[in-house]
Amino acid sequence: MRLLLQDVRAVRETWSLAATGSFETGIHLVTGPVGSGKSTLALLLTDLDSPQEGRITRDGIHRSVLSLQFPEHHVTGSSLAEEIRSWGIEPEPVLAAAGFAGREHDDPLRLSQGELKRLHLACVLRVPSDLLVLDEPFSGLDPREKANYCAAIAECRTQGITILLTHEQEYFPPVDRIWEIQEGKLVLLGRPAEAYSSWRLIPSLIQDLVNAGRPPRNLSREAIREALCRTRE
Amino acid sequence: MISLVSVTAGILSVPELSIPEGVTAVIGPNGSGKTTLLRLLAGIDLPEQGTIRIDGKPPRECNSGWVDEYPDRSILFPAVLDEIASPFRFRKIPGDEIDGMVRKITERMGIESLLHREIRTLSGGERALVSLATACAGDPDILVLDEFDAHLDRDLCRITDNLLKSSGARYVLRCTQRMAMAASAACVIYLEQGTILHSGSPSQVFPHLAGTEFFPLQGLAGI
Repeated sequence: MRLLLQDVRAVRETWSLAATGSFETGIHLVTGPVGSGKSTLALLLTDLDSPQEGRITRDGIHRSVLSLQFPEHHVTGSSLAEEIRSWGIEPEPVLAAAGFAGREHDDPLRLSQGELKRLHLACVLRVPSDLLVLDEPFSGLDPREKANYCAAIAECRTQGITILLTHEQEYFPPVDRIWEIQEGKLVLLGRPAEAYSSWRLIPSLIQDLVNAGRPPRNLSREAIREALCRTRE
Repeated sequence: MISLVSVTAGILSVPELSIPEGVTAVIGPNGSGKTTLLRLLAGIDLPEQGTIRIDGKPPRECNSGWVDEYPDRSILFPAVLDEIASPFRFRKIPGDEIDGMVRKITERMGIESLLHREIRTLSGGERALVSLATACAGDPDILVLDEFDAHLDRDLCRITDNLLKSSGARYVLRCTQRMAMAASAACVIYLEQGTILHSGSPSQVFPHLAGTEFFPLQGLAGI
């Protein structure tokens, strides 16, 4: 399975994005400054928008799912149960797993942003997909929820291609590749340990660990904790 | 000083709380009542019971700025310029003075390049910045931000954290999921299920949260 971008260009009024590269099976992290085109890239990757130039080839990808940055933009149901059913899945297990047991009649748009995100991610991770693109999946989630969903992504996404586009600074699932949008161009930085030196928006905690000579082996909370323990010896 | 006495609203119940001047971070799990507390302090909602006073005045008599956790819900106008100018226009300040005031606030925030954009073309983070600029534009005494930083990158978090420390507002109340930011605030309030379990300076509050996901890892690093 492979998502191949060849000389792709998206041009908007005030910025443009150029992307060439290949997303293979695994978990990819894409970072980049605010307004650099991450959400546009998410639309291109899932075939919801077409680039002005270049080609995107989807080898073996039959079902793509995009999780939008703002979960309220996904809402089509007037109750939590209806909203979950709109993803083609049964409400009860999702309500129980996401902590909404007994609240099937609640209005999704009355939830806080964090709660709505929690419900939305619980749905998205249950829908089978070859390609899953998550645009800012953790915004609004509390640290416990972030940790839970990082674990859930690692557990549910052992097959297929998963692409996370995020500003998150502390919570990540174990990732296979790190990419960054630098000056309007999507750049593959490499595997976690080899990416740190060229990663402009490297999270400060990871930068501190690199500076202390103890780079974490991956970005997951476990790997960061392990590196912190090494530091303290 | 902000004081709350015997306040109840929805799931929130606050027997007594004082909030000092400066930046206060409100933290806690999703659904713990952070937004409810902030909406009371901004004067958007009234408590079912109890009294809230900001320097002796009820919140609705104070000049306050608000940024919603859903950025689109804070924004009224389709054009960035109109949005940021709106607090001045609502006060019927003459148009030629407004231009200068809008320029000043956008320069201070480093978002001059967004000024002639339409809101619908902005990214999530850019919308948050426009909401913040608009909230600050009216020179509020109290600035209330509900997870405003959820859509910002590392550098913009740093820039806006610094801006908010010198915003001119006597009180900045913000809920955040960035514990490193909360650790640098003057005051931290930790909520769980509608109850304030801890409040005080970061060095008073965070020891109670050791071993939980709410404890900033930077604190463990010693690096």
